Amino acid sequence: MNSKKEVSVKGMSRRTFLKGTAGSIAAALAASGPGQLLAKGIYAPTVIRQNKTVVLAIQEFAHDAIKAVLPDFEKDTGLTVTLEGGPVSGNDMLTKYAPAFASGESPVDVVSDADDSGPTFMRAGYMLSLEDVIPQETWDDFPESMGGQIEKFHSFDGQRYRVPHEFAIGYFFTRKDWLDEKNLKAPTTWEEMVEIGKEFADPANSVWGTTDGLIKPALLYVYVAYLTAQSGGDVFAFDEATGEALQFLYDMIYTHKIFPEDALNQDYTAQNQLYMGDKVAFMRQWPFFQGVAEGDKEWFKPEKLTIELPPAGPAGSKAWWGGWGFSIPAFAPNMDGAKELIKYLTSNEIAPKLAEGQSWFIMPRTSILSAFEGQDNPIVTAMGVYAEAGVPAARPFHPRVAEAQTIVDDAASQFLTKQLSLADALKYGQEQIAALGE
Amino acid sequence: MTPLALPRRLRTPLARLTLRQRFYVIAIILLIPALALRTFTAFYPFIQTAYLSLHKYNPAFDHNGPVFTGLNNFQRIANDPVVRASIGYTLLFVVAATFLQLTLGLAVAHLLNAPFRLKALSRTLVLIPWAIPMVIAALGFRWMFDDQFGMIPDLLRRGLGVQMKWLIDPYNAKLAVISVAVWKSTPFVALVLLAGLQGISQDLYEAAKVDGATRFTSLRFITIPMLMPLLITTGMFMVVWQLAVFDLPFLMTGGGPGFSTTVIAQKIYLESNSLNYGYAASIGMVLVGIVAVVGAIGLWLFRRFDVSE
Repeated sequence: MNSKKEVSVKGMSRRTFLKGTAGSIAAALAASGPGQLLAKGIYAPTVIRQNKTVVLAIQEFAHDAIKAVLPDFEKDTGLTVTLEGGPVSGNDMLTKYAPAFASGESPVDVVSDADDSGPTFMRAGYMLSLEDVIPQETWDDFPESMGGQIEKFHSFDGQRYRVPHEFAIGYFFTRKDWLDEKNLKAPTTWEEMVEIGKEFADPANSVWGTTDGLIKPALLYVYVAYLTAQSGGDVFAFDEATGEALQFLYDMIYTHKIFPEDALNQDYTAQNQLYMGDKVAFMRQWPFFQGVAEGDKEWFKPEKLTIELPPAGPAGSKAWWGGWGFSIPAFAPNMDGAKELIKYLTSNEIAPKLAEGQSWFIMPRTSILSAFEGQDNPIVTAMGVYAEAGVPAARPFHPRVAEAQTIVDDAASQFLTKQLSLADALKYGQEQIAALGE
Repeated sequence: MTPLALPRRLRTPLARLTLRQRFYVIAIILLIPALALRTFTAFYPFIQTAYLSLHKYNPAFDHNGPVFTGLNNFQRIANDPVVRASIGYTLLFVVAATFLQLTLGLAVAHLLNAPFRLKALSRTLVLIPWAIPMVIAALGFRWMFDDQFGMIPDLLRRGLGVQMKWLIDPYNAKLAVISVAVWKSTPFVALVLLAGLQGISQDLYEAAKVDGATRFTSLRFITIPMLMPLLITTGMFMVVWQLAVFDLPFLMTGGGPGFSTTVIAQKIYLESNSLNYGYAASIGMVLVGIVAVVGAIGLWLFRRFDVSE
């Protein structure tokens, strides 16, 4: 047997292999469509495959509620919706999507976007205006009191880019069982919070009047802005009332010792652990805590988690609200499908179904409140009580919201860890905000 | 001799080249993939970063594209307290962590080089910190240093009577972050140095012992000089690698308290997350400058101790 024959019997020759490889590549290129390839590079096949698919990015805990309403949509439109785990914070949103958006690409068609990333994306032209997508009846379903916030955090230049699907407000959770035991009532003012907090605080055993998660980035801002709403200040102006709020927080930690110093490096998980470990008498927390606490069936009892109005500061009982909303990236691969999906999810028929499936979607929309009428849902009840008492305050706005929040974080953290005096911290904040230039 | 003689159907223009010319053509063809890769992954990003560092550009506000501002971004860096602090802490972190990793790594390598039972198992166990992902280590240590939940303050309090606030005190937080970096990477350094120790002939130590050398003098005059190329190489690797540290301080302290544990990479992250691409690029160029200086020192050390030979 000669060598040539051996090659043909045992396998392919090097030349045949090279020819075959080159041929395969050429065939694949031809099949993918040269126009698409030139226009979209090597991602073209993915784009083609997605023509019948709409990709929605939203936090994973909301997937089940979304999945429950999708069959009708998929049946009516012939589209398939793929759910992708979305970022859990505005910072993560910017990290994950800004590079793609900046290069004119989007890995998703519809996205659930946060208050601290949305305005940046809108201003940069990365989001699609929803003026011609969302029908007026959907906007009319939102209460008038949300209008100002929608104009600031969901719109730019008179165009709306985001539809809110969450109404997050800091609720004041109290241990009614503890208060009853001592024949006390929940605090209604800052002064009472200190006095009643002292009744429970036992720092040696890590028991506190109140606490919060204050780790950077962003969490310290959340609480400082909450207290500043109660003191009547503008947190981004670092005004006198902001100073009053910071001083109150400082005093709770160091003077009255009702608030753990370690909270400055704790997140919400640690905060919740403290509360559910029977170490805290009352605290501000987002609505999701209701679900977390109820999930611990051994610990949970309604009297351990009673929502009261926030203790009033000089400007009254206030808490700022904000939340996530649906947007369409301007570079969504399946734009038509994205428009259909966002219209469907935010409609007056589907919004209540989402809210029933996941408390994250509960908002004071007329359709949602009607659907919950007669039901004993503590978050919906509290939402009504807060609205009636005029608690919701507008979320502080700055065109460079993420940077401005970081400045508040830095200034407050330096003051609360005794690196700067209050006056110097306020001066630092004012200078840094001024340097932002907007 | 016709080693490169081509078949008739392949007698193309290449065939008309001299042997030396053909060699260059083939060399260039072979180099193109590597060059293309480096162009897209290193040269282009560097040029683009350098370009942006001289411009004011935030797509959310500068809708007409980057505006040339000369050295304004660098002037702003000089007046930015967060950048100044982050440069200071990054340098402290790198110097302290690398020094401790090399020192402790050498000690651990010595222990692992000693004859004892279960040596193989010990070497494996020592590597565990290195195998733990940084994200998990950082989050784990954040809880472990917590005064209310953590075992470290608790052990110190009960064992030594030491009462310290760790992650909410600017100085202790710096120390805590550095100590976790040391805990995490010392096993890697130890393993590398262990390989070096095993390459040193025992004859040298025996001869030194005959001459009356103590363990310390043997370490000073035999072990360290023999390991010097490895120490320099590993040290340089750790320095350059840790100059870009981000995940550990970010997850352990968020850069706080205040911005006392903010590192340069975190500041770049924060700026680019706000789409301040021009300013982020200029901070990036400062980091490039620092790496370049460290690299030059490394090259000098390489030559000084003949590492490349």
